[in-house]
Parts: sequence; structure tokens; C-alpha cells
Amino acid sequence: MKDLVNAVAEMLEEDARTLTQKYLDEGAAPIKIIDAYKDALGIVGKRFEEGVYFVPELIMAGEMMKEASEMMKPLMAEDKSSNGDKLGKFLLGTVEGDIHDIGKDMVAMLMELNGFEVRDLGVDVPVQRFCDAVNDFQPDIVGLSGLLTLSYESMKQVVDSLRENGVRDKVKVIIGGGQVDEHACKYAGADAWVTDAVTGVNICKRWIE
Amino acid sequence: MELLNETAFQEREKRLTDAIALRKPDRVPVAPLAVHYYPTLAAGISNKDAMLLYAQRYESMKKVTLDLNLDVALSPFGTIPPAKFLDILGLSHFKWPGGVLREDQPFQYTGGATLKGTEYTQFLSDPSGFTLRNIWPQISSTLAPLAAVPLPPIHWLSTSYDLAFGLSSAVAEPPVLDLLKRLVALGEEFGRFGAATFGYLTEMRGLGYPLPYGGMMITAFDWVGDFLRGMRGVLTDMFRAPERLLETIEMLIPATIQKGVLAARATGCSRVFLPLHWGCAAFMSNDQFARFYWPSLKALLLGLIDEGLTPIPLFEGDYTPRLEFLKELPKGKVAGHFEAVDRRKAKEILGDTMCFWGNVSASLLATGSPSEVKDDVKQLIEIFGDTGGLIIDGSVGLPDETKPENLAAMVEAVMEYGVY
Repeated sequence: MKDLVNAVAEMLEEDARTLTQKYLDEGAAPIKIIDAYKDALGIVGKRFEEGVYFVPELIMAGEMMKEASEMMKPLMAEDKSSNGDKLGKFLLGTVEGDIHDIGKDMVAMLMELNGFEVRDLGVDVPVQRFCDAVNDFQPDIVGLSGLLTLSYESMKQVVDSLRENGVRDKVKVIIGGGQVDEHACKYAGADAWVTDAVTGVNICKRWIE
Repeated sequence: MELLNETAFQEREKRLTDAIALRKPDRVPVAPLAVHYYPTLAAGISNKDAMLLYAQRYESMKKVTLDLNLDVALSPFGTIPPAKFLDILGLSHFKWPGGVLREDQPFQYTGGATLKGTEYTQFLSDPSGFTLRNIWPQISSTLAPLAAVPLPPIHWLSTSYDLAFGLSSAVAEPPVLDLLKRLVALGEEFGRFGAATFGYLTEMRGLGYPLPYGGMMITAFDWVGDFLRGMRGVLTDMFRAPERLLETIEMLIPATIQKGVLAARATGCSRVFLPLHWGCAAFMSNDQFARFYWPSLKALLLGLIDEGLTPIPLFEGDYTPRLEFLKELPKGKVAGHFEAVDRRKAKEILGDTMCFWGNVSASLLATGSPSEVKDDVKQLIEIFGDTGGLIIDGSVGLPDETKPENLAAMVEAVMEYGVY
């Protein structure tokens, strides 16, 4: 299925759609087709790291993958959702006061594509909900998203609260958003800060390895 | 006193225009560009009230300007929209304190696409009609009845006969009558807001403080990306419908220039503020920037300059990879406000092209110490001060959470290190 891998990696959406249908019609196993998409996403991710691809290509790749999954859904066995092969658990939310979700949603999509089990708490998430979810979901990593400058304080409160509850050293904390930097990271007491989603995913993957 | 203030106004104005023209002023100007809730919070006014009480908000902006003796009056334009405008229009993409948000939250724009990927042709063939019938009803619950009103294309009503019957029948619909009443309330509210704003501008002019800018405008690409197609739409259209996207951007460019010209004319300030959203390094490659973003940005900048205006683009996000593009602009005609950029590279590549405005980071102003802020300002002056092309501000203006002592330190550092 090199042609399919190539079509997705080269952003040829129409070709990818046609080839996926062709392979399905020929009776190819859906899991093989999904693997081809995963290979393509690997190439897309690599090109992103090399500075060849940017956000538009990531969104396109995500949408192509989503469409292919939809096409395959009726053919896939029900129990495909087992977590046996998950890389790690990632808890995510936009911090209290902030209702922006574009960056958070992109991170959620990319983390899932990269093999993480993601729990997304949504926007304007109070400190207590993060703490409850840490206890309940037992994530490896907590991602705090925020576009507004008020998020510095909210991020700090989440990290403080994790510390007070004795779970700070059980998780890594990464903050992300247009206005975060090393000062914000230090203030919040996070382990890392990012202003783009792919760098965030790469940091999380490194942590898990 | 009046004469003294007039002299002070001329001095401050000259300080700004000299820096922008890359001439050395008497000292580095310190001029916050965009300011939202900092002044009202400092005055103990809730975010909710900041959007309702015009006079109190302007009083708090005056206090910050005077207390710190800034080089500009904090600008009332393009920052916090009056809550009543949002409320009367029922704007669904805005969320604000006192609306669905808590009193201590800032207003936030949550966006969403209003133009489907399949509707480009419709929009391009009749942008005004499409806006009235399709876009307004989506973003404004008050204007929603327009979707169903049998209003013909406006040019059908260019004869007296058609106007007499066509317009009358359209406004006779009960939902339209109701809508018109709401618009009367909107007009009356604007009257109150306008009077308070005019009073503030007149007072600050009389006290000797020029505005940083008199109008705000966005680029055609951001117009499509923020409002028409949304982020996902605009970025995927680069692959799915590049020609339609470019055609739409092209169509909107003259309007972006004209909006800037009209705003500057209305306020008597020739500087125009352009917050830029989707052109930064994180969102697209240099090739994509060159094809989709730069042409409409450059056309807007040059169009405003041709009209005798001074654009102040706020380059949001990292613009380091774009510096070579910006070098194409005429020298000393644009003041580039940078959020995040490699300062030394910006100096090296753009030092003789444009004044650098900025960029003490928002996080430093909100969470750092006064000495860290002073060191940062000192570094800016060391890098950019030699030619005079520097204006000091936060990275995106003043964040709401700025510590007052950090703001004071920013101004102090300018007085200490920034006298030429």
C-alpha cells in the first residue's frame, strides 16, 4: 500500500480516499489500511519536525485519518478499543477562566494519533476537577492549556494542588498556549512549556520512553 | 496650562513619530498598544462593569496614563467591546462576563466558521447579500430573522416604485419590526458609548497625550481565518480550495485598506493597529506564508502607507522566520510590534527598515519581578536603541494580570536607560 501511504503523506486527499476505497473493495484487511495511514502519519510527523510541514498538514492528515476510520468502522471488530498497546495516559484541559479550545483540541488529536490514551476535561476546568481526574484516571502526564494571561495563575493553582494532594511527583506537567514561556513555566511549577502542539507531543513521548 | 499641555502633546507625538521614522528622539518612548482590563482591575472595577460603565473605565485608563506619565493615552479602540452591543445583537461567538461568563473572567471570542467550503462562489458573487442573509443570522440572534425575510437584492430597489413597495413589505414582517426596535436600542447605546469615548479622547488630547493608534484593522487572511472559515477551514482550504481562498482574500483586500483609512480619519490619528493572527511561524511554512498570507498583508501595509497612514502590525506568535519578507517594506514607514521574535536577528535584518515596538513578555509582566523587567528593557535598549527605532511595551500590550510594580519598573527602566 505504498501508494496509499504516499498519497496521505503528500496531502493528496482525493487519491487517499480513492485508494482506501479500492483496497477495501479488493478485500484488504482494515487493520492493514489503518497501518498504512499510521505509516503516513509517521512521515508527516517527521516532516513537521524537519520544518517542512506545519499545522495545515497536521490538520489535513488528521482529517484524512478520521475519514478513513469512519469508512472502516463498520468492518472493524468491536473490541478494537483495548488499551493494551497504549503508550501512556494523558490528562488534558483548558485551565479555569479560559474557554479557548483550538490548541487543546489539536493536542488531544495529535496525542491520540501518537498512541496516548487521552482524557480531555474540556475548557474552564476548575482546579478540583483536575485533581479528581488525576486520582481517577491516573495519568502519566497532565497537560494544562491556556491562551489568556490569566491562565498563569490557574496553571499554578493546579500544580500547587497536585503537590498538596501528594501526587505531584507521580505525574509530569506540561503547559501550552500562545502566551506561555519559561517565566510562566517556572511560575506555574510545570515540567515543560510549549507553544506548539507537535513539540508538546514529542516532549511527552520522550518522557514516556 | 493649555499651552503647556499642547507642548507636551507635540513632544510626545514627535517622540513617537521620530522613533517610527528611525530618527533618534529625545528618549525611547514607552507606549502600551493594546490594553484590556488592566486599568479597570487596578481601579477595583470588575470585568463585568468594565464592559458596562464607560465613564468609569475611561477614568481608570486616564489614571494609569497620568500616574505613569506614559507617552500615549491608553487607546479605547479595538479592545473591550461594550457588553450592551454584544447583548443587543445577541452575538453568539462572543462570551463575556455578565453574559455566560463569571464577573471576573475577561470577554473571549470563541469563533466558528460562518462560510462553508462549498459557499465560496455564493459569497464571492454577492458578498453583501450573503452577509445579510447567511452570516448575520448565524452570528447574531437579533439578526436571525433576516435569513427568512423576502428581501430582494438591494439593487432591485434602485427605483422609487420598487423601494416604496419592496422595502415596505420587507419591514412589515413582525420579526423585522421587532429587529428594528432592537437596532434603535443599539443606536442609542452607541450614542452613549460614543459620547463617553469622545469625552475621553478630548480630555486626553487636552492633557497632552496622543493616541498610540486611531483605528484597528485585520488582514484579509485573518478575516477569513478568524471569522469566515475558521481555523480548520482556512488551513485546509490551502489544500482543498486554494484558488477560491486566494480569490476571497483578494476580494477583501480593498475593504481592509478602506476600513483603516476611515478609522484613522474618524479619530484624527494616522496610526493604524493591525493585530495579526495566522501568519506566525507556528501556523504555516514560509512557502505557505509567501503564497497565502504575505500578499494580503503587504497590500494592506502598502495601501495604508499610500494613504499617508502608519501601520502598526502586531506580529503575534514567533515571526523570526518571516523577517526577510518584512524587509521588503519601505523604510521608516511601519512600526513593527513583535510578540515573540529573536531580537538580535530582528535588529540585524530589520534594523534599518522598521521601528521595533515591544516586547517585554506578558509572563514577565504578570509573574516576574521588577528587576527582571528592568533588565529586559535594558536589553531591548542595548539591542535597538542605537538608531532610535525603538518603542517599549509589553509583548502584546499590557496583560490584565500585570503587576503594578512591574509596569512601573518598565517605565522607570526607560527613563534610566533610554535617554539618548
